[in-house]
Amino acid sequence: MAKNVEITLPTKPRSKWTLIKRIITLIIIVWIYIWTISSVTIKWDVIFSSRTMENFDRIIPRFFQPAWQETSSIFGKMFETIFIAYTGSLAAAVLAVPLAFLCATNIVRNKFLNNIGMWILGAVRAFPEIILAIIFVAAVGPNAFAGVLAIAIGSTGMLGKLYAEVIESIDMDIMEALEASGANKLQILFYGILPQVLPEFLSYAIYRFEIDVRASSVLGIVGAGGIGTLITFAYMNRNWEEVGMILLVIIITVTIIDQISGFIRKRLV
Amino acid sequence: MIEFQNVSLVYPNGTQGLKDINIKINQGEFVVIVGLSGAGKSTFIRSINRLVTPTDGALLVDSNDILRLKGKELRKLRTKIGMIFQNYNLVRRSTVMKNVISGRLGYTGTWKSIFNIFSKEEQLLAYENLKRVNIEEKLYNRADELSGGQQQRVSIARVLTQQPKLILADEPVASLDPPTSHQVMQYLKQINQEDHITTIVNLHFIDMAIEYADRIIGMRAGEIVFDGPASEVTEKTFEEIYGRSIREEDKRGGGEIDG
Repeated sequence: MAKNVEITLPTKPRSKWTLIKRIITLIIIVWIYIWTISSVTIKWDVIFSSRTMENFDRIIPRFFQPAWQETSSIFGKMFETIFIAYTGSLAAAVLAVPLAFLCATNIVRNKFLNNIGMWILGAVRAFPEIILAIIFVAAVGPNAFAGVLAIAIGSTGMLGKLYAEVIESIDMDIMEALEASGANKLQILFYGILPQVLPEFLSYAIYRFEIDVRASSVLGIVGAGGIGTLITFAYMNRNWEEVGMILLVIIITVTIIDQISGFIRKRLV
Repeated sequence: MIEFQNVSLVYPNGTQGLKDINIKINQGEFVVIVGLSGAGKSTFIRSINRLVTPTDGALLVDSNDILRLKGKELRKLRTKIGMIFQNYNLVRRSTVMKNVISGRLGYTGTWKSIFNIFSKEEQLLAYENLKRVNIEEKLYNRADELSGGQQQRVSIARVLTQQPKLILADEPVASLDPPTSHQVMQYLKQINQEDHITTIVNLHFIDMAIEYADRIIGMRAGEIVFDGPASEVTEKTFEEIYGRSIREEDKRGGGEIDG
C-alpha cells in the first residue's frame, strides 16, 4: 500500500541577485525607450493636422486610379527587375558554396580558416543592398549590371551562412562509410556530401531569389536598373497614378513568385 | 590473412582502446567478436581498415602493415576491405543503385566518378549483388524509402560491389528487430561460405554469436579474454567474458525463424 506521504516540490533556489538583476534590466529597457522616443521629436500636432489629412485625401485616392496606359512599359521594367534578381541570386548561389564549405567546422577542421570564412560572410552581410548598389553604380555606371552585382554580393552573405549551417548538419557517418571503401576526398564530396546538401542549397537559393525580387525593385532608385527607376521618375513628377500602377505590378508579381517558390520548395526537401 | 602483432591503441583522452593484442585471423573465417559495450570491439574492427589508428604494434592485412600505409596505398588496400555499419550509412537521398555503385569508387578515377561514369560490367555487378540479397526490385528507389533491414541489405550489396577479400561488420543488427537480424546474419554467413570472404562481425547477442560464428573472440577492457571455435562456447564462457551473469537482454531470440 502506498503510504500517505505529502509530496512537496523542492523550493526553487532564489537569490537576491536575480531579483536585483531583473529590476536593473527593466530600468535600462524603460530608460532606452523613453530616451529614443524623446530624441526623435515627434510632432503630434502635425500628424493630426488638417494639412496632413488633406494631403492624404489628395494623394491616396490617386494611387487607386492606376495609370493603365503605362502597363507595357511598367511590365518591361518589371521583367528587367526579375532578371536582375535571378542573375544576381544565381551568381550568389554559386559564390556562396565555396565560402560555406570554408566556414563549415565539420569539413574544414581549422578554426583560423573557419573564422576567415565567417568574417568574409559577415562583412558582406553588413552592407545593405542599396549601399552596394550605390557603390556598383559608381563603379560600372547606372545600369542593370550594377543591380546584378549588388544583388549577387548582398545575397552571398546570407546564402553562405545558411549553406554552412546545412553542411554542418549532415550525417558524417556516410563519409566514414565511403572512406572505408577506399574513396578519395573529392569522391566523398560528390557521393557523400553533395547529395545530402544540394536540395537544401537549392531551396535556400529559391527563397533568396524571392527576397531579391523585392530588393531589386528598389535598386533602381539609385540608378541600378529595374522598376525602381520608374518609381523615381513618377514620384518626382508627382505622378501618383503611375506610382499606384507600379506598386500594383510589383505586388502582383511578388505574390505570384512567392507562391511558385513556396510550391517548389515544399517539393524539394 | 590478418595478423595483430602487439597492437595497442590509446585514445588522445587517455582511454586505452586496445591492450597488446596478438591474434591471427585466417582467410575465409567467420569470426564474431563479443564483449560488452566499451570492451574495444569497435576499436578492434576499425583498426583493421584504419578508421582508427593504433598507437603501437603492427597490423598485417594481406601481408601489408596497414599502420605504415598512407594516402593512395591506404585507399588501395581499403578497397579490399568492405565495411557494414550499425546505421547502414547509406546516402538517404540517393537511389539504391547510386549507393551500391559507390562501392566502386576506390577503383574509379576521380573525374569519371564525378560524372557518374561506370562501366557496363560495374553496373551489372552492382545489380547482381542486389539480386544476391534479394532487393533488386528497389534498384531505382531512394534509400530513405526502404526499411532498416532493406537498407542493411543494400549496404551488404554495396560492400560486395567492392569485391572485397574481407568484410568487417560493426554491430550490423543492433538497430534491427529479431527476424530481420537473423536474415541479415544469414546473408553475411552465406556470402562468407560461397565467396570465402573473411568476415569479422561485432555482436553483443550471445545466441547469434553461437549460431553464426566459426570462431568467437571475447573482449573485455581492450584485451582478448577468449578465443576459440564457436562449438566450444557455452553460456559459462560468456559469463567469463562479460564478467557477470547472462541476462535476457544479451540474447536476440527469434533464432527459429528462417528467412
